[in-house]
Amino acid sequence: MNFYECNLHALPDGSDSASRLALAAKRLGYSGIVITNHTTTGQPFRYDAAKLVGGIEVVFGIEIVAKDQRSLHARTASLREKADFIAVHGGDEKINRAACEDPNVDLLAHPHDGRSGIGVAAAKAARDNQVAIALDLGPVIRLRGGSRVRWMEVVRRDLNLIEKFDLDLMISTGARSHLDLRSPKDLVALAALLGVERERAVDALALPKSIIYLNRRRWASAGVEIL
Amino acid sequence: MRSWLPVLRDRRRYIAFELEAEDRVGRSELVGEIRAAQASLLGDDGAAKNRLRVVSFDGRFGLIRCSHTRTEECRALLATVHSVGGTRAAMRVRGISGTIKAATEKYIPQSILQPDENKRRVDLGTVSGSVARVIGREIDLCPDDRKMTEGSGTRYVGLTSFDLCGEDIDADGTSDGL
Repeated sequence: MNFYECNLHALPDGSDSASRLALAAKRLGYSGIVITNHTTTGQPFRYDAAKLVGGIEVVFGIEIVAKDQRSLHARTASLREKADFIAVHGGDEKINRAACEDPNVDLLAHPHDGRSGIGVAAAKAARDNQVAIALDLGPVIRLRGGSRVRWMEVVRRDLNLIEKFDLDLMISTGARSHLDLRSPKDLVALAALLGVERERAVDALALPKSIIYLNRRRWASAGVEIL
Repeated sequence: MRSWLPVLRDRRRYIAFELEAEDRVGRSELVGEIRAAQASLLGDDGAAKNRLRVVSFDGRFGLIRCSHTRTEECRALLATVHSVGGTRAAMRVRGISGTIKAATEKYIPQSILQPDENKRRVDLGTVSGSVARVIGREIDLCPDDRKMTEGSGTRYVGLTSFDLCGEDIDADGTSDGL
């Protein structure tokens, strides 16, 4: 299968260079990775070296950090042409909603970090604008006890919403180092604990690839392609 | 021990794993960490059903025994191990098999590259420090600037030989020929 890890952070955002993440992901069985450094930290260190790692596709996207709705829309519009993959740094309720309402956004990353999640209105907007929602499994790995329980509660509620509105789902770890990465099989097993069916999880891991290929085609406007 | 009829004997699976860690990790620390992860994720009830045992561990590769119906749960709980005794680590499941012999022969390599631990300096402009160890193409760097690894909680910065010279087209990226 064509599994992609869609939300990674390389140096200087994380602590691994892009090529190290690519090597580690390749050994775990991924066929591609998307490096989405935050807009606040800038370009990945030695990103050209990652292309030399054979057998894995390394895509450079971006994760937009915005403090309000207006600046978010302005940034997605300006970056859409340049980036193959646009994620939004979620967690805040307003930003989650704004990201779901923006058709330029590919992925709403870690919407459950602030324990707010997405609501019904945002879920409807995400369906209309084809924004994928990330199931970020980093907290299951990192957290223990009460904080993980609260996080799981929010995620279960949102997974119901995602199921109800048939939203696009992506599974990631939000890794900042090769030690944060997990193999696709591990992620499927972890997602199963949260109630995501096996086929659904497998589709979620393969989705980034099709989104990236769609983005790479040249679109004149919505639905019009330049051939 | 009481002998069981073959049909009544509980069936088992052996999980061959590799521990990736920043420092040396002992068996007892690993067992404690796995137990804690299991208790936290699945509780006593789930733990009793898993019947998890660490059969062997040599510092890097090891075998875990579990019930044959609970391999997915065991995979999930091994994935939640993110540090062992305060050292950042990750457990990689290499394969699952029905006997110790098959698991060892299929999934645990007999010859592995040993880490090369001579100290060298690396200075690449924004990233500088001394090399902590090198395994194949992978380089762990102890950075001069401690803030560099703050976000991920690791001790070392992970680089590859591609970052240092970057002129190696033939490389296929496998680190130690496993």
